[in-house]
Amino acid sequence: MASNQVAMSSKTRDSIIFKTVIYVVCIILALLSIWPFLNMLINSTRSTGEITSTSISLVPSKYMADNIKKLNKQNMFKPLVGLKNSFIISTCVTILSVYFSCLTAYAIFAYQWKLKKAFFGLVVGVMMLPGTVTMIGFYRACYQFHLTNNKLMLILPAIAAPMTVFFMKQYLEGSVSMEIVESARIDGSGEFHTFNSIVLPIMKPAMATQAIFSFVGSWNNYFLPMILFNKAKNYTMPIMVSLLRMDQYKTEYGCVYIGLSMTALPLIVIYLFLSKYIVSGVALGSVKG
Amino acid sequence: MNKRKLVSYSKYGYIFAIPFIVAFAIFTLYPIIFTLIIGFTNHEGIVPPKLKLLKDPFENFKYLFKKRGSGKMSYFLLSLITTARLWVINFIPQLTLALLLSAWFTDNRVKVKGQGFFKVVFYLPNIITAATVAIMFRALFGFPVGPINDLLKSLHLIKNPIEFLNKKSYTRAIVEFVQCWQWYGSTMITLIAAVIGINPEIFEAAEIDGANRIQKFFRITLPSVRPIMLFTLVTSMIGGLSMFDIPYLLASGGPDNATQTIALFIYNNAFTQPYKYNRAAAASIALFVIIVILSVCLFYIMRDKDAAKMEKLRKQALKKGRV
Amino acid sequence: MKKIIASVLCFTMCAAMFAGCKSSDDNKSSDAPADTTEAAGGEGDTTVSETETKTVGDGEIVLNVYAMSAEVPGMIEEYFKRNPDVASKYKVEAMVSSNDNQAYETKLNAALAAGGSDAPDLYVAEADYILPYTVGELSTFAAPYDDFIDDVQGKIATADVAKYVQELGTNADGKLVALNYQCTGGAMIYRTDLAEEVLGAKTPEEVEAAIGAGSQSWDKFWEVADKMKEKGYAIVSGADDIWNVIEKASAQPWVTDKKLTIDDNRMSYLDISKKLYEGNYTNKTDSWSEAWYADMKGAGEKQVFCFFGPCWLINYVMANHVVDEATLKGKYNVCTPPVGFWWGGSWLLANKDAIANPDKKEIISKIVEWITLDATQDGLQYAWANGTMNEAGTKDTVSSMAVMKIADGSMDILGGQDPFQIFVNATSYANGNCKCLYDSTINSAFKDQAKAYAAGEKDKDAAVAEFKDKVAEMGIEV
Repeated sequence: MASNQVAMSSKTRDSIIFKTVIYVVCIILALLSIWPFLNMLINSTRSTGEITSTSISLVPSKYMADNIKKLNKQNMFKPLVGLKNSFIISTCVTILSVYFSCLTAYAIFAYQWKLKKAFFGLVVGVMMLPGTVTMIGFYRACYQFHLTNNKLMLILPAIAAPMTVFFMKQYLEGSVSMEIVESARIDGSGEFHTFNSIVLPIMKPAMATQAIFSFVGSWNNYFLPMILFNKAKNYTMPIMVSLLRMDQYKTEYGCVYIGLSMTALPLIVIYLFLSKYIVSGVALGSVKG
Repeated sequence: MNKRKLVSYSKYGYIFAIPFIVAFAIFTLYPIIFTLIIGFTNHEGIVPPKLKLLKDPFENFKYLFKKRGSGKMSYFLLSLITTARLWVINFIPQLTLALLLSAWFTDNRVKVKGQGFFKVVFYLPNIITAATVAIMFRALFGFPVGPINDLLKSLHLIKNPIEFLNKKSYTRAIVEFVQCWQWYGSTMITLIAAVIGINPEIFEAAEIDGANRIQKFFRITLPSVRPIMLFTLVTSMIGGLSMFDIPYLLASGGPDNATQTIALFIYNNAFTQPYKYNRAAAASIALFVIIVILSVCLFYIMRDKDAAKMEKLRKQALKKGRV
Repeated sequence: MKKIIASVLCFTMCAAMFAGCKSSDDNKSSDAPADTTEAAGGEGDTTVSETETKTVGDGEIVLNVYAMSAEVPGMIEEYFKRNPDVASKYKVEAMVSSNDNQAYETKLNAALAAGGSDAPDLYVAEADYILPYTVGELSTFAAPYDDFIDDVQGKIATADVAKYVQELGTNADGKLVALNYQCTGGAMIYRTDLAEEVLGAKTPEEVEAAIGAGSQSWDKFWEVADKMKEKGYAIVSGADDIWNVIEKASAQPWVTDKKLTIDDNRMSYLDISKKLYEGNYTNKTDSWSEAWYADMKGAGEKQVFCFFGPCWLINYVMANHVVDEATLKGKYNVCTPPVGFWWGGSWLLANKDAIANPDKKEIISKIVEWITLDATQDGLQYAWANGTMNEAGTKDTVSSMAVMKIADGSMDILGGQDPFQIFVNATSYANGNCKCLYDSTINSAFKDQAKAYAAGEKDKDAAVAEFKDKVAEMGIEV
């Protein structure tokens, strides 16, 4: 270490410049990330007139209540119906995908069965499959069996979530040892009981991470609800939002921004509270992967 | 481990996998098979007739690659190229930015303050509905009055407002920017995890050798995170190949096909006049084949070379460190 | 820090929600005093009734209504309001979706084809895509009016329904399956102040002379455009405005017998839009965009001389933006356009399956008749024309010429001018000859290419070739 002392002074100068560069870039990027949202929140307090004349402003105005009132008068946009539907669907999807993925991952992790390798291969293979590929068949099948407008068609597929299974398996390998399971067996605990009362609690961090991803993914799903649902009472938030832009005779920009904020805010709030699980969670899966 | 015991429990493996298999069979396998079947049939029109195999079963598939009347390449191939282009141009800056940020945030000499804040903020665009993002960016790039046009004008960079969403190149650039903006945070977090996973001894050894920041980045960080980078590449590629929301909501695939991705091609064939479900199904299957081929190639590259290479590198670095 | 931001946002959100619920409560209690907590916040089924009145939505018989705007559901609501005795038997489920990217058509088609309890009982189709439902693949679903309304021909004669409205609503067997409630003949809506300043024209007649009204040629229009340009004004807001005229002024549809024909008129749009674009005659806006609306109230880059459209453009679009003196209220007037045209309109169709159900047939018969054929002062059209349906007093031309005769069309936005006669005259240009089954897709493909050509992204041949390729993709011979 002593030999380094001499070079220190020039190095500090370097590192100050370097640090400045880092901070400048980071702050610019942060502004780029935040600005659209800030713009959205501020515009939701401004009147359509104000927005159309100058679309950026840093000063909130006083028309928020007005905008909300106008929004409520619109026939098509029902934020509370949208929020309710989105919450029901996203919550069910999250619970199903997280629970069953843990179960499936546990099946791969804890037991030796003949088709295990093939099954895991399948999971990895399906992971590669974008929804676009199955879309036409899924859609036509729904119509044939009169299952459109059925929320279950969005919820039940979550039971088979290969990405989540893969992640859970990676996590299990790193954090659960078979000895715990064995000792539970000796105590006479049934397999299913062992899984629920011993394995699941250990998997909490991984579950939290995947829960956020599932929830956000399902909340933001625009495509499937759009082609499957044609009754307003089933519309989810993203569909409601896309309706906002498309009012037939005029665009009330204040309303549009209020609507956008209503869609984004629940997610932002959930995200900010749970962000540590995302930031650390990705690491849980990928490092061991 | 006691082998006999495990065998006796093996039936639980099957039991616990049943829900997944059932849901998979109903909601993924069946639709895929159905899609495949539709691709060979006459299933088209608002009220499709009963499924009937076409005289030439591959007609729909051939059509995808057949030249247009004007002699240009087919719309399917065009959308394939568009998709590739949109993805590549958004992925390169996205990965570069993510790598840079992950190198900065993991550099133990310059401890960047407020890292947590930056990470959270950079990831933020990823959690917002595409519908919302699209409306925001449509407003931002409004013509003739919109924030960006106003800004450019007040900076005297342009004299007349730019018709952003009416020009092919601008629209593409906007879609690429939005995709990059939405995803660099996520890529960054994955890469940070990978960098943290690198054995700190390697860095220490290199530092003792007097390696500077740039050398460390190119000689150690980059080679070590290559497996994760490839993983990111594969997942991003699959996401990119099925890119739909942003091009659809922001530009409806236009102007003049500039942002028509494969997913949009499939959507437009299936869900607008004259409702060519069969052609859309054929395109889906073609997409499926393309993805399988690309993934297999990438995984092959990733599996063989890198594991061996990395091991070698690690040993070399450690050796150097000891000397 | 993060937690604080999150909490603040959370609070904002809750506050917004609360305010939302509260104001929706306020709305309701002022509109319908009987309405209590149950409907607050719009929970539960999104029936049309929910926004305004409580009476609809109690009944057991579900009536599925599909529409691309809230207009028709609003009418049904009004009908139930006026007839509370029948209203209690029904519950209206409205599917309202805009037709951006053909979303509405797709949903309606799928729902019709699927049938069952979710099938549309009463559905609406716009002029741009009415034909698939009257003569195309989906015509089998549409019930002839004769099957559920007595003496349709007699009522049509009494109401004196505009000819083209009937033409477009007639199926291949010559049976009437759809009628419209609006009359959508088009006119030129121009700025009186600019007309006086640039053309020295004080009355609509003088403007008509300057623009070559009814001449069916654009020559005089270009003369005016040049004069406007000299003074720094735009003749129209964007090329889209002209497209609506040209599309309908065409003598031939895009497709006959699965073969494409490009009418000379439509072909000329390529040159017109290029000239408008390159000559800087417009503000280069797209219809239905923010900038287009801004031009209506004179807030665009250049002041815009005129818009082309039917009566609904004035009252349903422009009036939303032209609200006071500062936004040009009273500065518009209407005159006959150089080239005759029509634009839009919503036709009402009833599902055959719904008619087979006696309960539904009864109410559908009443509603459809009230909306499309009732020419009395109690009918919808009378209220629609005189603007007594809503607080805003939105007036519109209607399909019954009998009603038009007794309606008063003077409007504040036009400085008191009554344009109804001009719009009624314009009806003579309205015909269904220019429409075909594929208009939604073909029109947007053509406009897309015209735009690329105008903006100099490609030459004319390339644009036409690309357009033909697109049409060929649909299985149409080019």
